[in-house]
Amino acid sequence: MSTVDDPRERLEFLQGTLEVLILRSLQLGPNHAYGITQFLEQQSGDEFLVDNGSLYPALQRLLQRSWIAAQWKTSPHGRRAKYYRLTPAGRKQLVAATSRWQRFVEAMGRILAPEG
Amino acid sequence: MLREWWSKLCRTLAGRRGLASDLSAEIDAHLEFEIQENIARGMPPDEARRAARRHVGNLTLIQERAVDAWSFPSLESTAQDLRYSLRGIRRSPSFSLVVVLTLALGIGANTAIFSVVNAVLLRPLPYPAAERLVWLGESDPKAEGISVTWVNYRHWRDENHSFEDVAGFDAAHLTLTGRGEPLFTRAGLVTCGFFGLVGAHPVLGRVFSAADDYPGAAPTVVLDYQFWTGKLGADPSVLGATLALDGKPYEVIGVMPPGLHFFQPSIDYYLPLHQFEGEVVDRARHGSMRLVARLKRGITLRAALADLDVIMQRLAQSDPGPEAQHRASGVFLTEYTAGDIRPTLLVLLGAVGLVLIIACANVASLVLARATARAREIAIRAAIGAGRRRLVRQLLTENLLLAVLGGIAGALLAQWGSGALIAAGPRDIPRLAETTFDWRVLLFAAAITLLTGLFTGIAPIFTAGRLDLVSALKDSSRSATGRGGQRSRSALVVAEIALTLVLAFAAGLLLRNLIVAQTADPGFVPEHVLALDLVLPPAAYKSPQAIGGFYSELEQDLHGLPGVTAVGAVHCPPSVGDCGDWFYSILDRPAPQPAEVPIALFNAADRNYFGAMRIPLREGRDFADTDLPTAPLVAIVNETFARKWWPRESAVGHRIKWGGPYRDGPIYEIVGVAGNVSQMGLGTEPYPEVYRPISQSPSEAMVVMIRAGGDTSPLAPAVRRRVTAIDRNLPVESLRPFEQTVAASLAERRFSTLLLALFAGLAMALAAVGIYGLLNYWVRVREGEIAIRMALGAPRSSILRWAGWQALRLSLIGAAIGMLGGWAVSRWLENLVFGVSHNLTTLAAAALAVIAIAMIAAAIPVWRATRVDAVDQLHRA
Repeated sequence: MSTVDDPRERLEFLQGTLEVLILRSLQLGPNHAYGITQFLEQQSGDEFLVDNGSLYPALQRLLQRSWIAAQWKTSPHGRRAKYYRLTPAGRKQLVAATSRWQRFVEAMGRILAPEG
Repeated sequence: MLREWWSKLCRTLAGRRGLASDLSAEIDAHLEFEIQENIARGMPPDEARRAARRHVGNLTLIQERAVDAWSFPSLESTAQDLRYSLRGIRRSPSFSLVVVLTLALGIGANTAIFSVVNAVLLRPLPYPAAERLVWLGESDPKAEGISVTWVNYRHWRDENHSFEDVAGFDAAHLTLTGRGEPLFTRAGLVTCGFFGLVGAHPVLGRVFSAADDYPGAAPTVVLDYQFWTGKLGADPSVLGATLALDGKPYEVIGVMPPGLHFFQPSIDYYLPLHQFEGEVVDRARHGSMRLVARLKRGITLRAALADLDVIMQRLAQSDPGPEAQHRASGVFLTEYTAGDIRPTLLVLLGAVGLVLIIACANVASLVLARATARAREIAIRAAIGAGRRRLVRQLLTENLLLAVLGGIAGALLAQWGSGALIAAGPRDIPRLAETTFDWRVLLFAAAITLLTGLFTGIAPIFTAGRLDLVSALKDSSRSATGRGGQRSRSALVVAEIALTLVLAFAAGLLLRNLIVAQTADPGFVPEHVLALDLVLPPAAYKSPQAIGGFYSELEQDLHGLPGVTAVGAVHCPPSVGDCGDWFYSILDRPAPQPAEVPIALFNAADRNYFGAMRIPLREGRDFADTDLPTAPLVAIVNETFARKWWPRESAVGHRIKWGGPYRDGPIYEIVGVAGNVSQMGLGTEPYPEVYRPISQSPSEAMVVMIRAGGDTSPLAPAVRRRVTAIDRNLPVESLRPFEQTVAASLAERRFSTLLLALFAGLAMALAAVGIYGLLNYWVRVREGEIAIRMALGAPRSSILRWAGWQALRLSLIGAAIGMLGGWAVSRWLENLVFGVSHNLTTLAAAALAVIAIAMIAAAIPVWRATRVDAVDQLHRA
């Protein structure tokens, strides 16, 4: 599970991208921190390794900007956990960040694409 | 951004403890999820727990970082820096005390001088749109600020396109009678626009109207507030009453508010200024009126003067006369009010700035030494992960904190110091008494505090920045930054010595100038002379005979007093300045061009004056009883006058014409040449001067010089009684030993020289402390080296030479730089202060003094170097 066991070097998050990915993971519905980790690692095809030392501060920052809200709830398996959900402001932010990211990727791609 | 701060702030106020426990519960839940997952995958519970712990990571760190996301990072680390700094200051109290005191001296001295500069030079005058007020006079090719004639005033006022308003002003002395003792009073003569220009409204009654500007108007007077409350008991019924001034009744029409100090020295009341006969038509007929005017918005002074010059050129064509060359001259009123004190204050401000730089260099040097001693501490902190930026910031914070403490102490010192400055300063510095701590002064103090903090903080950081971690950690305490730090500190000490030398040289030049002025032969003997100032009211003394009769009777009476050896009277006594100059020409020389007509001081004296003051007669004769109004007019000129025209022959017998070739005026025959006296104040350049006998050119205002065999103070009451016995309505303007008047002419120079000497002394003390500290450290670092040298057989004398050379080398380099700088500064001083001449003797003396003081300061550490206990040192090593 940890990098030590993994022969392939995993990708690190680019500055500021973790926040957007958290917002995206909550688009499907409220989730807790562990659930977010699982979601991001699975969706990235295990390319990303989510470091809890980055995840938790990122969650705090999103809370401060009121893009997400938190609430203690009981999980389907009967365990209490803190669930995060998107706020309307967060939803708007996600849309904006997604389109910015797509422009960024296209621009990068155009430059990095092999000639011809 | 704002929302983020707001939510952080709310959270901070709510307390972060709740946040921490909430987070730890959340992370526990997270851990539990992973454990369950691992168990579900078939791990035994123990291993599942261990793996989960490993996977989740450092729980404390995660929680800490998450909590940190709620903090204000820069603010909180600043608070931490401050806490560390306070701890650092407490840990080394003597270091901190020295730093704070040094900075307090530097900042305090600067703030005190600046508070005076602020009051005298910077603060706007208390008039509406004072920045647009200008002072106007006429100018000719040789002089500026000549009085404006009435005709020119009228043309300027009515035809200019540059001024919102123009008003004339002048001053006069009148005697107030009929209200107890006769009183010598001062009047401000103003045209009706004056009060509008200075924005003053009467607290009682009204001010002058345009009708009061004409000679036919009923005589009216507007009282100054001080005079109204002080002399007239603040009686409101004074409105409509009359004041007898010079025997003429004036109706009181108004009282001005307190705090109107346009006239210096202050006046008692205002009278309408209007033209007297002849002034209305003669464009060259001068009184002593100057103008005050307010520029229109957006018009420069230069453009306004050019505008007036156009008027003057037009007048020169339509109404030519001896003054066709005259143009307008003007300065801003702020500048005019500050007057001669401006260069003095700028010199003092420069000097005190140097003191601050020296103080900063000292502190920087101390901080450097301490940074070297703390190299280990800093290295440890860097090793356990403190970022370089954070370390630098912490050092800066510490220095800024010390600077702020120094600044606060300095501000307190300055408040006390500016009080002392006002008390000790000469009375005639304009607006000195208005010195207060306003926002400008506080801003100035804060700014220099910040600058010193940054400067003293940054200098050591350049060295600390090169910290070599490994050697700092390995080495016990020394040499980690020793060499670099030592070099920087040496440079600082060299700079201190150089700056101190500049200050000492400047102070030496001014001191020498003062001593020259004080010991120069004034041309008369000022000791044991009582000076009695009198102004006869023209209403009571209408004819020259009446005036002459009064003074000769008084002189005879005073001569009869016991102890009096001589009595003589003069219109304008030595060292009080210029009481009136005028054009003249020499009859047997070709007439000069109108613009080239020479000017001399014109004075009046009686036949006993030169004898009473012991002014030597170089040629010819003294005034005599035979110089009657009906006899040929005679004059005595001073040596400068005689040399100017007759350098090789006697001046006696030549004739001069008053007013020059283009103006009417009587002709005088020179009958004698008197020695020069320092007319403009001690140590000033002599000026051509002409004395006329009062029997032929009477003057109401005279100073009667009473010479006694010894102390003059017991004479004063008897002198007053004699004056009252002759005319009981005559006020005594002043009666005091003439020595005081002479000394007062040097008061301002003595004051500024004293201050500069004080600053030079302060600089020397600071430089001495600096070189002491540096060498002390130098020796301490080299104790081991010295011990080895001694163990290898070096005699104490060679150690002495070695350490002594260090001190001498720094002093010599500093002195060399200082001499170059001092030489440059002296050139600047020469232009600024009359009579200062750069001279090598003073420079050499200053250099020797500074080197000597540096060597004395170095003596203790050098001596300590020779006392190093070689055995003990080597044991320790």
